[in-house]
Amino acid sequence: MIALESLTKHYTKGTVVTEALKGVSFRVERGEFVAIMGASGSGKTTLMNILGGLDTPTSGTYRLDGLDMARATDDELSGIRNRKIGFVFQQFYLLDRADALKNVMLPLIYADGSGDDAARAGQALAAVGLSARSHHHPAELSGGEQQRVAIARALVTDPVILLADEPTGNLDARNGLEVLAIFQRLHREGRTIVMITHDPAVADHARRLIVLKDGRIAGDSPVTHPRDAQAELGRTPGDAPGAGPR
Amino acid sequence: MQFSQNAVLSCQILAAHPLRTLLSIAGVVVGVAAVILMVAVGQGAEQRILDRIGRMGSNLITINAAPARLMIGRSRTVATVTTLTARDARALSEDCPHVVAAVPAVSKSLVVHWEGRNTTTTVVGMTADGFRVRSVPLASGRPFDADDDRLRKRVAVVGQTVRRNVFGTANPVGQDIRIGRVIFEVVGAARLRGTDATGMDQDDVVFVPLETAMRRLLNVPYIQTIYVEAESRRWMDRVERDVRGLLRERQRLTAGRPDTFTIQNQQTLIRAERETARAMTLLIASVAGIALLVGGVGIMAVMLMAVRERTREIGLRRALGARPRDIRVQFLVEAALLSGGGGVLGFGIGIGAAVAAARLGGWNASVSWTAAGLAIACSVTVGMVFGLYPALRASRLEPIQALKSD
Repeated sequence: MIALESLTKHYTKGTVVTEALKGVSFRVERGEFVAIMGASGSGKTTLMNILGGLDTPTSGTYRLDGLDMARATDDELSGIRNRKIGFVFQQFYLLDRADALKNVMLPLIYADGSGDDAARAGQALAAVGLSARSHHHPAELSGGEQQRVAIARALVTDPVILLADEPTGNLDARNGLEVLAIFQRLHREGRTIVMITHDPAVADHARRLIVLKDGRIAGDSPVTHPRDAQAELGRTPGDAPGAGPR
Repeated sequence: MQFSQNAVLSCQILAAHPLRTLLSIAGVVVGVAAVILMVAVGQGAEQRILDRIGRMGSNLITINAAPARLMIGRSRTVATVTTLTARDARALSEDCPHVVAAVPAVSKSLVVHWEGRNTTTTVVGMTADGFRVRSVPLASGRPFDADDDRLRKRVAVVGQTVRRNVFGTANPVGQDIRIGRVIFEVVGAARLRGTDATGMDQDDVVFVPLETAMRRLLNVPYIQTIYVEAESRRWMDRVERDVRGLLRERQRLTAGRPDTFTIQNQQTLIRAERETARAMTLLIASVAGIALLVGGVGIMAVMLMAVRERTREIGLRRALGARPRDIRVQFLVEAALLSGGGGVLGFGIGIGAAVAAARLGGWNASVSWTAAGLAIACSVTVGMVFGLYPALRASRLEPIQALKSD
């Protein structure tokens, strides 16, 4: 699914060259739920950008679903981002002017597939449990709900991989757990998920943990006792799941 | 489908900032409105001038017994020339082909009296054909005829301005008026004719038979003007040439000497008016061009602002799979929507103003759909041209930097 080989990335600012990635190699197979953890400056954001086809490596190879990402053109990368990758961002990045359904439909504008865009978006919203909110605007949704809309948007093109960059970073504990519970359910349904985080407690919800340090891989191991977000939600005092704070 | 979805979203975004959107298209709105108004008014005015010329008879060639001089940009006949006679007019109608009639005429400004009231007006002496040749229809009574002329009868036909000034509401037909020291019987009243191409009131006139005017009023053996009616518009230039040749021959003008008379051809006048109108249209077009240019700059400023403001949205769209081309198209469509909307709005305002102006001015506003279509097409083009640079800037944003911006 994902194959990285000796990946490096250098940034040049004036005369100063920063080495963000100094030779990273790993593979992610179909159906895995991987957390990539690292402190700020460890290169995890750079890695995320390259994995997502938003940036190209300085050297090394990166193959996604058999496609050579290091040598793809800008237009090709756009197409790959559209069809193969589902992004979930820390800040959600929803369009304020559009309701939940329209936001979920956004990637379909750039897809050349046919079919009923609204129906597909509706299904994606149902998958994150937000069918009832499809005509609400982002301002009318809680943070957790906004992130769930963003997850639906990432799922609507049926991508081969879900890339999440600090998906719980802007959420309180309860809403964070809700998002993680959705990821775990998607994982059980066979989705491939790569999640970037700096928080070990969040990373513990994945099945495999890759630790990044100073642009190199410092550790790569299965999570021995993954935490169950749904179970934690049950233990968290307060209101019922799905009715997070506004 | 996808394109229309995006266009709808663009509209929503534009509608979210109504004031800014309105301000950005103000230039285009004003530009297009001004063009529509000016074209409508210009065409209305042109039509009016052509109507006036037509009212004087469109197959008409006028010969004045004085050489033309250019005075303050206008051609005028000056001095009194005594070489033109009624015999010349007769010769023209007999010897020139394609001439239907030649009407000799004299005129002088005289005072008209009736029951203690008086007015100064132009008294025109002409042959009976003059009513037809000069398009003078009667409102009441009868015109004078060839016999009246031959017998030097003291009969008169009054114009509407004279009728109003002297008779008020009374029926002028049958009344006796005094012109100078001579008593005339009013036999008819002309219908309202309005102003001519030079703005002269064509109703401030009293028509009397030519012979009567020459022998009883003015006591002159010469005439001032000959009105020549050509068979049709087609022959106007030919007739003008023949008339000039014949008159020069009759007046024994050797080659190289200037004409002692002036020939005014209605078709030439119409052509000149058309040319003036064309120059006016060109002026309007250039003003419109400048207005649209300014409008375009406004749209460019707003689009640049929009690109800055929506940098993150652009980054998001790129991350979700939009190619640079898609971003470019989106912003171009938005610019075109803006300017096209401005064009339509300006068109509406222009039409409204033209209709209002026409009502005030009392003429028909003729709205040219070609001009309207052209104005809107131009405004859309302006939007696309000035939206191109902002759109290019938007499409060249790096997705990561764009996403991270705030």
